Amino acid sequence: MEGIIAIWQRDVIKFFRDRPRLIGSFAMPFMFLILFGSGMSGAMSAMLGGSNQAGPLADFDFVEFMFPGIIGMTVFNTAIFSALSVVQDKEFGYMREILVSPISRVSIAIGKVLGGSTVAVFQGLMMLIFVPFIGVSLSFGMVLELIPVMFLVAFTISSLGLLISSSLKTTQSFQMVIQVLIFPMLFLSGALFPLNGMPSWMNFIVKINPLTYSVDMFKKVILQPEQMAPALRQAMGLDLSIFNHVITFLEEILVVGVLGAIFVIAATIKFSNSEA
Amino acid sequence: MPNIVEVSGLKKFYKNFEAVKGVDLTVKEGEIFGFLGPNGAGKSTTINMLSTIIKPSDGTAKINGYDNVTEKNKVRASIGLIFQESTLDEKLTANENLMLHCKFYGIDKSLREERIQEVLEIVDLTDRRKSIVETFSGGMKRRLEIARGLLHYPKVLFLDEPTVGLDPQTRAHIWEYILKLKKKAGITIFLTTHYMDEAEICDRVAVIDHGKIIALDTPEILKSQVGGDMIEVSTGDNAAAKKLIEERYETEVTESENNHLAFRVDNGSEFLVDFVKEFDIPIKSVNLRRPTLNDVFLHLTGREIREETLSKKDLARKGMRRRFH
Repeated sequence: MEGIIAIWQRDVIKFFRDRPRLIGSFAMPFMFLILFGSGMSGAMSAMLGGSNQAGPLADFDFVEFMFPGIIGMTVFNTAIFSALSVVQDKEFGYMREILVSPISRVSIAIGKVLGGSTVAVFQGLMMLIFVPFIGVSLSFGMVLELIPVMFLVAFTISSLGLLISSSLKTTQSFQMVIQVLIFPMLFLSGALFPLNGMPSWMNFIVKINPLTYSVDMFKKVILQPEQMAPALRQAMGLDLSIFNHVITFLEEILVVGVLGAIFVIAATIKFSNSEA
Repeated sequence: MPNIVEVSGLKKFYKNFEAVKGVDLTVKEGEIFGFLGPNGAGKSTTINMLSTIIKPSDGTAKINGYDNVTEKNKVRASIGLIFQESTLDEKLTANENLMLHCKFYGIDKSLREERIQEVLEIVDLTDRRKSIVETFSGGMKRRLEIARGLLHYPKVLFLDEPTVGLDPQTRAHIWEYILKLKKKAGITIFLTTHYMDEAEICDRVAVIDHGKIIALDTPEILKSQVGGDMIEVSTGDNAAAKKLIEERYETEVTESENNHLAFRVDNGSEFLVDFVKEFDIPIKSVNLRRPTLNDVFLHLTGREIREETLSKKDLARKGMRRRFH
């Protein structure tokens, strides 16, 4: 148990000590939100509402729509890149210090996943700084609800990261694999645009993408779609469904949680079998 | 004294290459045991098997009575390891590195402060406790690593080339610490080296070449096996001199890197008087010395242990480090 805490603690200390990383991690989401979000917002409203700006679709605000997606993206990026530390530890030798100590491999893997998750939750929470500037109203209760959701997502994605990093030896190869993985997962998750009217093969990828359910959970907490007009909800792509069944929040928790469990078990097994 | 390390028939083979071809040895408690051999002889592979990092292909090893394969965690708790390459977290302070180690090894909370003080004192780093490791010099990092390796009071301390890449002064310091340690804690030290002078300090030395132990004894006995004295000469025409010496004195002459010819004779001081008088080729310098462990190695294998230049892999790794720091 203490071994898990030690591994976790090291990653958290290093996260807060690394100022450039802390600041740099703001840059990407900020640019997406401001440049992409604000830039696209006019076009998006025009497409949805056409010249007819009356009716429920007039309320559509693209930046507001994107905000939960950006939080999802931040949590996702931070969590998956946290596994980079595993590869770096291999390169810089610290992994040997850990592996020759009497802590079990399982504890090391769990400590690493928890460290990555914690860091990702912090990063995600830091995105809430943008709240006052984009006109989303967020209550304290919503923030409290957001934290466990972020943690669940971060845990699942960190486990996926560890699973990938366990089989890789260099940071270059890790970054390569992650880049290839990140873009389709991000674009086909509904984080950046509403998932409406897609070709069926793409729709299939959307539905097997764990990030889709993760982002949708953030949307459900932040945008409160049940209070929206059905037409607007539809336009914003908030009626995520499988086989005509609209997926509930609880089901999403279940999906992400089960995936997380599978990933963490696979990652632990994979990690345990790797030699120093 | 009881045996703290017992190894028998230890082997490691990779796909098409046998790195270690059956090692048998025992180390007594409190001993400094040296593993001497050129790079690539199987020293690190053997130490990695003993320290549970890699699994032996065959044979058994026991440390502190625990089996290296079936009782890994007990072995791990009994040993300290200092690798060729640094395994410190350079972004953390010395104190944080040591504290993490305490937690990894489950050292009782009430003991930690005292232990950290103690090991820092041994290596003279008490005043740098709160500094980030990145700011340390190479020698300081090495010392910190030694300190960390001692924190959990290991029974056996493995040192894999503990002074490689350090300047002679720092090397001497590190050795001071290691000897201090042996006196103070009575710890067993198992080290690999390809520096002859370091091997001389050991109580016993195993000479390893091509994955096999070719001699195992105290440095004194090993040297006496070579016997006699070593003569080193430098002449105007080394090639001719070599031929002449070999013909006239019926001894084997080896050429060392700094243009010296070396050969063994039974009684050096008597030999030298006649040799200088009789020798026809102009002699630039002549030197008489006792055999060293290098001569032992030469005697056993016909080759010298040379300090090899960095391999390509090492260079690539160094480059990588620079990029990420």
